[in-house]
Amino acid sequence: MRLLGRLFQLLFTWWNGATIGTLWTISRTGQLVGEDEQGNRYYQQRGGSRRWVVYNGYADASRVPPEWHPWLHHTLKEPPTLAPPKVKPWEKEHVPNMTGTPFAYRPPGSLAGTGARARGTGDYEAWKP
Amino acid sequence: MTKIIIDGKEYDLDPNLTLLQACEAAGKEIPRFCFHERLSIAGNCRMCLVEVRMGGRPGPKPVASCAQQLRDLPPVKEGQPLHEIVTGSPTVKKAREGVMEFLLINHPLDCPICDQGGECDLQDQAMAYGHDKLERFKENKRAVTEKNMGPLVKTIMTRCIHCTRCVRFAAEVAGVDEIGAIGRGEDMEITTYLEKAVTSELSGNIIDLCPVGALTSKPYAFNARPWELKKIESIDVMDALGANIRIDARGREVMRILPRNNDDVNEEWISDKTRFVWDGLKRQRLDRPYVRKDGKLTEADWPEAFAAIAARFATTKPERMAAIVGDLADAESIKALKDLMTALGVVNLDCRQDGAKIGLAPDGTRGPRAGYLFNSGIASVEAADALLLIGTNPRMEAPVLNARIRKAWLRGNLNIARLGPPADLNYPVCELGNNPADLIAIADGRHAAFETLKSAKHPMLIIGMGALARPDGAAVLAACAKIASATGMIGPEGEAGWNGFNLLHTAAARVAALDLGFLPGQGGRDTAGIVAGAGKGEIDTLFLLGADEIDTRALGKAFVIYLGSHGDKGAHRADIILPGAAYTEKPGTYVNIEGRVQRANRASFPPGEAKEDWTILRALSEVLGRKLPYDSLAQLREAMASDAPHVAQLDKAPGFPPADPAIWRAIGTAGPIDNAHPFVYPISDFYLTNPIARASATLAECSRSSAGRPLASAAE
Amino acid sequence: MSTRRLAPDQPATFAFTAENLAWAKDRIAKYPDGRQASAIVPLLWRAQEQQGGYVTEPMLRYLGDMLGLSYIRVYEIATFYTMFNLAPVGRHLIQVCTTTPCMLRGSDEILDACKKHIGPKPQTVYGEGLWSWMEVECLGACVNAPVVQIGKDFYEDLDGPATERLLDDLKAGRAPKPGPANGRFSSEPLGGATTLKEVKA
Repeated sequence: MRLLGRLFQLLFTWWNGATIGTLWTISRTGQLVGEDEQGNRYYQQRGGSRRWVVYNGYADASRVPPEWHPWLHHTLKEPPTLAPPKVKPWEKEHVPNMTGTPFAYRPPGSLAGTGARARGTGDYEAWKP
Repeated sequence: MTKIIIDGKEYDLDPNLTLLQACEAAGKEIPRFCFHERLSIAGNCRMCLVEVRMGGRPGPKPVASCAQQLRDLPPVKEGQPLHEIVTGSPTVKKAREGVMEFLLINHPLDCPICDQGGECDLQDQAMAYGHDKLERFKENKRAVTEKNMGPLVKTIMTRCIHCTRCVRFAAEVAGVDEIGAIGRGEDMEITTYLEKAVTSELSGNIIDLCPVGALTSKPYAFNARPWELKKIESIDVMDALGANIRIDARGREVMRILPRNNDDVNEEWISDKTRFVWDGLKRQRLDRPYVRKDGKLTEADWPEAFAAIAARFATTKPERMAAIVGDLADAESIKALKDLMTALGVVNLDCRQDGAKIGLAPDGTRGPRAGYLFNSGIASVEAADALLLIGTNPRMEAPVLNARIRKAWLRGNLNIARLGPPADLNYPVCELGNNPADLIAIADGRHAAFETLKSAKHPMLIIGMGALARPDGAAVLAACAKIASATGMIGPEGEAGWNGFNLLHTAAARVAALDLGFLPGQGGRDTAGIVAGAGKGEIDTLFLLGADEIDTRALGKAFVIYLGSHGDKGAHRADIILPGAAYTEKPGTYVNIEGRVQRANRASFPPGEAKEDWTILRALSEVLGRKLPYDSLAQLREAMASDAPHVAQLDKAPGFPPADPAIWRAIGTAGPIDNAHPFVYPISDFYLTNPIARASATLAECSRSSAGRPLASAAE
Repeated sequence: MSTRRLAPDQPATFAFTAENLAWAKDRIAKYPDGRQASAIVPLLWRAQEQQGGYVTEPMLRYLGDMLGLSYIRVYEIATFYTMFNLAPVGRHLIQVCTTTPCMLRGSDEILDACKKHIGPKPQTVYGEGLWSWMEVECLGACVNAPVVQIGKDFYEDLDGPATERLLDDLKAGRAPKPGPANGRFSSEPLGGATTLKEVKA
């Protein structure tokens, strides 16, 4: 049953992993370059003229971590598997775009956030006896 | 006069003008950073370079136009063309671009986070003279540590371009030689000695003077941008000088207060209290009526409050009612209150919260206007050559006026003496001791000061409320009037005239209230009488129009109605609170010490249910069945003008009063002066003199940090 | 030249000795009425000598009060002139000129000698208060470059070894002889006269 569901996803959805056409192209001409912490797999055409990512699950470009991002966009020649970027101690963990999820960023004062309004113009402190 | 050609057109100008001023007179704008009309000339920014062509030949090099006067130019030779100042030639532009390049070498590019952004001279002038073609400075930029200059002035010293305007202001205008430039060359830094706060009441003005964002307002930091502010021209009420201010508001919030130029009043300075009081407008606000029920103030609505007042008034006889006007009231509300009280038959009226013995003639009728004005006018202080301060500390009571006195002293020829406790005024003062009875000796010519005043061409007295707000105040006033007439201070009217008899008030509302006759009527009580009467149960109902400076704990069982903007002493004692508008929230008329009538404008609206004061009185009068005969501000002002015609003449000082001896005899009441009680200055804490200032956190901080200051030390 | 600041540790007070006070009074009296403040530079200089070579914060206030100058003005002057040291210096203050003529004539060797014999950092007291060295701008003795000023004396025409001998003398407590170190008397040509040879003495 699960296999059937996977097959259905592969055939009819574009937001899980890669589309069937992309998988076909990769399987014909691509070679595996590496895999990131989330399990996304990176391929390139021989010589590196085309580069792909096959998402492990939901296809969302913001899931590509910063170390793979420049390679994927042809900014860097070497993938992080060969030339790992220097990690600074102050660097934070990569977080995909959370918009649309309960973890989305709410600015202070947002009604969907804490509800406490920030000080605004025209506010005053009233005298209380 | 000197003939000169400026950009091809011939002008005939005062030879004392600098080249820069001459160009200004010809309508040419000259960029500048260090030059300021009211400060000495430094000539160190070099931005005002122009080309001077002498005898038709191009000048050898550009000239700093601020540092050279027209008379410094060599005389024009026979048959040669006139000298020409060229302000727009390519040489000039290139020279200024060079100066700008040097200025920008070490200036950070942090305009997006700079509070000066949008009103920055450097930003503006970089638009005209900056260039981005070269970028030849590849070295590290200079960075300078921030300096502490007290709770009002924020410093970002990396932005400093060393124009030294702040140094010159502190040394020259404020009279506190505390800011300086240490180090030299690229390492020059502006600082105070060991980073102590500037001990001046005018220190906020260095924020305006700073052409870049090095000195900015600490309370205003990161609050607003100049272009999002609504600018309203108004009048200050923190002291009686009536400084012209510009209130910058965003929406309904006052964001800052800046000075406006008025050479006759405040030049372009304002005191720190004026400038930084705005956060007091947002705190301790009375925003709804309160009525005391079972000993507790409870929130009420307007009809309820009015009904409570009407019920009280219906059972009180007019002779058991009283009204006192506070220090910040506008003339309109004073007029409305006076009309209402007169309609009710109340004679116990007073506007002199401090008990100053002014405004009344010996027989109890209204005294002459000259008896309570700063008759010489504020600007004429600069003409004085002998000045006797009587029981006044102008530095606390009117800091901007004090700066004017200092200016006159700096020009030389001003002899200043004082009868009163010693206090540092930032200029040397000859101490005559603190024996009030010496006034009679001076008036009779038995004192050395008499001769000094007599021999002076333009002698002047400044009499403070410290000398008049005492039981023998009328005698002090009479003695002062006698000094004035005996030493020839009272000259003819008109342009060539002179009158040096000056009173220095501490309350912005005082002169208007005296003009409108808010004084005890026949058989009426004055402030002290009202308070004592309330304590003894002889006054049942007391109406306070923003009056907080009386002893509210001594009011006994009296029923107190408080109309005001801030919850202060008066509101705490009140039985009914009517929320009014602060001075930034109503169009109002104020009369300053010299009798100049000025209009304040509304910058924002009163909070909550608060209303403009006169409308409250108008509504109340209807409930009381004594409807006031005006429905609009225009009608009220008309009524005011028929009462006191000069109140309709805006922005005009009355000029010297007539030298009629009858007037000067009617000022004060001759009598003995109590020598056992020396004069005491009315202001002990400059920063906390009124309810709005007391609500301000900034001024409270100033008051704390200035607490250790030796204010009573003798002048250097 | 770096940003000049008062030293963090300051003595509590400063007062002229009786002798210096008399000297100061005499110095102040040389200025016309109302211009006494102009005596600030010589007085600061004398006070610096009395303090052992540097200017202290109590000294600024003392002199400001003496001359009726506000403290910030005295502070401005003390930080403006590099001849006023704002931090303690050694008993021997070795001031090495490194302006162009001296540099071209080998002041770098002198600096190396100082770094080697005294200590690596300028404006730092070494040898338990014995000495400190600093770079200064032109001392005005370019004809005898490179030049070093120690105390009030100039030591001229130095090179590396000559400087090391000089420093050894100082360390040993001997008083080295001021003036050129290469045998010249003053600034005459090193190899004897080159002009006016025909003039007989």
